[in-house]
Amino acid sequence: MLGLAAQMLRFRKGTFVATFVALAAGVMILMTCGLLVESGLRYQGSPQRYAAAVAVVADRDRTIAGPEIFGETESTTVSLPEGGRVPETLVKAIAAVPGVASAVGDHSIAVTPVAAPGVPATGHGWGSAALAPYRMVSGTQPRTDGEVAVDARLAAGGKLQPGDATALVVGGTERKFRVSGVVDAVGPRAAVFFTDTQAARLDPNPGSFTAIGVLAAPGADKAAVVAAVRTAAVNAKTYVDGERGLVEQPEAVAARALTVQAGAAFGGYAAMIIIFVVAGTVGLSVRHRRRDLALLRAVAATPGQVRLMILGEVGLLSLLAAVVGVPAGLAATAWTRDQLVTRGFVPGTFELSGGLLSGLAVTVAVAVVALSSAWIAALRTTRIRPTEALGEAAVEPALGGKVRIVSGLVFLAGGVSLIGLTGATGGTTALGAATGMLYTFVLAVALLAPWINQAAAKLLTPVLRTVWGTSGYLAAANLRANARGMVAVLTALVLSVGFGGTVWFLQDNLQRQTVVQSHDGTLAQHALTGAAGLPATAAAKARKIPGVVAATGVRRTSVIIPNQLEAQAVAAQGIDPVGADQTLDLGVRSGSLTDLRASTVALSTTLADSAGWKLGDDARLWLGDGTPVTLRVVALYDRGWGFGDVTLDSETLTGHTATGLDDHVLIRTAPGADVTAGLTDLANAYPMSTVIGTDQLTGELAQDLAVSAWLNKMLIAVLVGYAVLAAANTLIMAALARARELSLLRLVGVTRGQVRRMVHAEQAGLLGVALVIGTAIAAITLSSVVHAVSGERIPYVPALGAAVILGGTIALALIATMLPIGRVLRTPPVQGIGLRE
Amino acid sequence: MSDIAVSVEGVSKTYGGEQPVIALANVDAQFLRGTATAVMGPSGSGKSTLLHCAAGLDRPTAGRVRIGATDLSSMSEKALTKLRRNRIGFVFQAFNLVGALTVEQNILLPSRLSGNRPDRAWLAEVVDRVGLGDRLGHRPSELSGGQQQRVAIARALVTRPEVIFCDEPTGALDTQTAAEVLSLLRSVVDDAGQTVIMVTHDPVAASYADRVMVLADGRIVQDMPQPGAERIAEQLARLGRRQPVTSREG
Repeated sequence: MLGLAAQMLRFRKGTFVATFVALAAGVMILMTCGLLVESGLRYQGSPQRYAAAVAVVADRDRTIAGPEIFGETESTTVSLPEGGRVPETLVKAIAAVPGVASAVGDHSIAVTPVAAPGVPATGHGWGSAALAPYRMVSGTQPRTDGEVAVDARLAAGGKLQPGDATALVVGGTERKFRVSGVVDAVGPRAAVFFTDTQAARLDPNPGSFTAIGVLAAPGADKAAVVAAVRTAAVNAKTYVDGERGLVEQPEAVAARALTVQAGAAFGGYAAMIIIFVVAGTVGLSVRHRRRDLALLRAVAATPGQVRLMILGEVGLLSLLAAVVGVPAGLAATAWTRDQLVTRGFVPGTFELSGGLLSGLAVTVAVAVVALSSAWIAALRTTRIRPTEALGEAAVEPALGGKVRIVSGLVFLAGGVSLIGLTGATGGTTALGAATGMLYTFVLAVALLAPWINQAAAKLLTPVLRTVWGTSGYLAAANLRANARGMVAVLTALVLSVGFGGTVWFLQDNLQRQTVVQSHDGTLAQHALTGAAGLPATAAAKARKIPGVVAATGVRRTSVIIPNQLEAQAVAAQGIDPVGADQTLDLGVRSGSLTDLRASTVALSTTLADSAGWKLGDDARLWLGDGTPVTLRVVALYDRGWGFGDVTLDSETLTGHTATGLDDHVLIRTAPGADVTAGLTDLANAYPMSTVIGTDQLTGELAQDLAVSAWLNKMLIAVLVGYAVLAAANTLIMAALARARELSLLRLVGVTRGQVRRMVHAEQAGLLGVALVIGTAIAAITLSSVVHAVSGERIPYVPALGAAVILGGTIALALIATMLPIGRVLRTPPVQGIGLRE
Repeated sequence: MSDIAVSVEGVSKTYGGEQPVIALANVDAQFLRGTATAVMGPSGSGKSTLLHCAAGLDRPTAGRVRIGATDLSSMSEKALTKLRRNRIGFVFQAFNLVGALTVEQNILLPSRLSGNRPDRAWLAEVVDRVGLGDRLGHRPSELSGGQQQRVAIARALVTRPEVIFCDEPTGALDTQTAAEVLSLLRSVVDDAGQTVIMVTHDPVAASYADRVMVLADGRIVQDMPQPGAERIAEQLARLGRRQPVTSREG
């Protein structure tokens, strides 16, 4: 049967090229997503500063049990946004473990060297240098608290030598040090070494370490030591081998999370589209060969053999598609990786690894999708009566069974019931909600398409006749008679319009929402921002400037929320509530921000909905360093996108963020007051800080968003592109399949121009229906998700974007139909009539 | 072995739901081994339906069909297919061949599908008899209509079926080519003792048969041993005047 299948493939190139293109592009997209996930899972950074340690003990994530659903609890592991801490006392306990030569606590302190502000640097105690180990290049280790040893990169960047005086900004304050020595450079960030006592003093979270490195005694059994350390440090996690890199480089953890999440989420969406597209094209290719299949059935083939042949064809095509798609996917991933590194999403040490596993998984997945849609299409062929081979004309089968119409209506009802959906707290969640809703609608359209096509044809008959005359009359007749055959075309067009219109604009809406909310909600005119962070005194000092009405220090962080389905990190801000009503307007719905204290919290309405909290409830959540807190909800506000979904009192965060500093101070001045001199003095008082207008603050936010949206937009563009490709594919297949019918029309006296006008009229009818339905779906989906996000019913749609999507679809449909029809019309009709359809 | 190749007993076939169309009404007929029968009648008389039911391509609404001693009524679709490819040959009016396959592959299609090793010597003989020796590597689209029909006949012969069913085998051919195809079919009956049942409109084609059966309104109205082309034409003309063409063909 496989030989027969191969021969069929070679003979019907056109049809199979279409299926092949759809499959190969699908493999490529999934391969890219799969490889990103696989590389992310394998990526651990590279242990450099902890290279000598046999194990590193740290507290970097929380595993949080979700709610019980159907008697099962699924737990989620969330990376701590601010990184957890391990207590000082643990060092002693680990040092006492047999086989441990020493346990070294490591502080990681954010440091900005004034001499070389462009070099990202972190401060440590000299004791931790033994973990790398670092080699002294020149000079000595720091012996007094006024001395530091710097890494060679910093020495080069700041032109420092042992004995030089230099200034470092630590904790928002500039401090003077003397360079005692230079050490060789390892790790992605430059290192500055203080004495151990100085490091402990400068650490914003005293009494704790960011990690503890374990050095094994010579000759000790490594595995036994690690096991014993694990027992000694039950409240933290013990990292060995490559995992040590994850502790050393928080960027590695972020890069890992980003690639795994983005790859998995988009892989999921892509898989859904691929199912639609592959099922559509395979179904169409079977439909176009009804007569061949009927002949095979009549002459000699059992239904099983026909099914086997169709499966064989599709299986062969899937293999071919994998051969082309997997290498193409590798190339596409390499490009994506370079882009991610260039745009600063992942560190340069992020490498693509693996590929075998992804390639295999993707090939199998696509083959399974293709084979199951082939199987469904093949099941239909058993209903092909062998006698169909004998008739002159293949009778267009009935519209479809009761099952089809009922399940179509069920999906339609499902989509409508999703309209009221709430609880989109994050970009990914909103995108997920929109995609789910979209698919439900598109599935409903796909199922109901025969009836939609027929109703539309009936409705459009008078219009087409008026506009196109005889050609329009023929077009209407064709649309009516071919209602079933045009299902794949309608679905593909609706999918590309609906998908493009929804997810692309959703991204725009989310971005705009954030910027607009932040803009509208900022009452202050000025903001003091500091690249190295600002101590709490900055806000207090600002308040004392004559003419300043209020000043609010804002600290950005994330907290972990046990959502109804799974725990996730959400953006939060810590503010000094005194006078905050003068600088910030969060759009409070109920409760009041004046009740914000160390023991209370304000939440965005969306978050409160999705987490199931009401005003006055006790909210149990985890701060950025993993500390569990229970806070009473005292206010619910609307502007969660602009300001974060959780607003806390800065006091709650004290000792629970990595730097312990504010990011900016919002300053509201009295109308007409001249505060220029006061603000300049303020900026001068804090190193590396400036005063800017709050408009600029919003502008920077928009830019940051544009950068972080890049990955989403790129992946969305690829998916929309795939949907469009599929639409073009089905259109070309449908057009080429009409060679015989068009030849017949020309033989009975319809001129070439009339045929062309007839096809135009059909296109206009089909496109009109697809555009109306696609736009309606996009509008409903977008509006309901945007409503959940922002409370607005009318989504923001950039005119240019709308024009591109609508115009693009129309252009695509015309090109993908008129070119092949033109080719068909160039063959002499007498020759065309001899062709099989 | 009995002398009866195909037997149709009380076969009825009704199409459609709300306003059923009766294509065959309680038809009884027997076709003897080693004979050629022409089934004739105006459009919509049920002659094609009779052929489809007798060949196991379609299932009658009532009654039974036997090929030799085998009763088709209780057979599964798969068993019917196997019976068709081993014991029955088909020649249709058009679209007989799979375009993707060469002439030789088309001829060997039934044996390939049944997994049997083709009898090369017999293939050579069949191909020689239908005069296609030099065309084996060609695709159907490179052949004339008559040549395509001869390929179909070769395919019908190569499995040495008991019965060959033909549905308007000369409908798309000119007189000259039609005569060639019909003599070929005649020789199958005379030389190999196979049975041919042929649906046709053409009195000339019918004159190659041993027996002519005329259907009207789903019933046999005439059953006569070879009466000659002129009488057949006469009969048909009479039926044609009386019979308004309303029901469906097939």
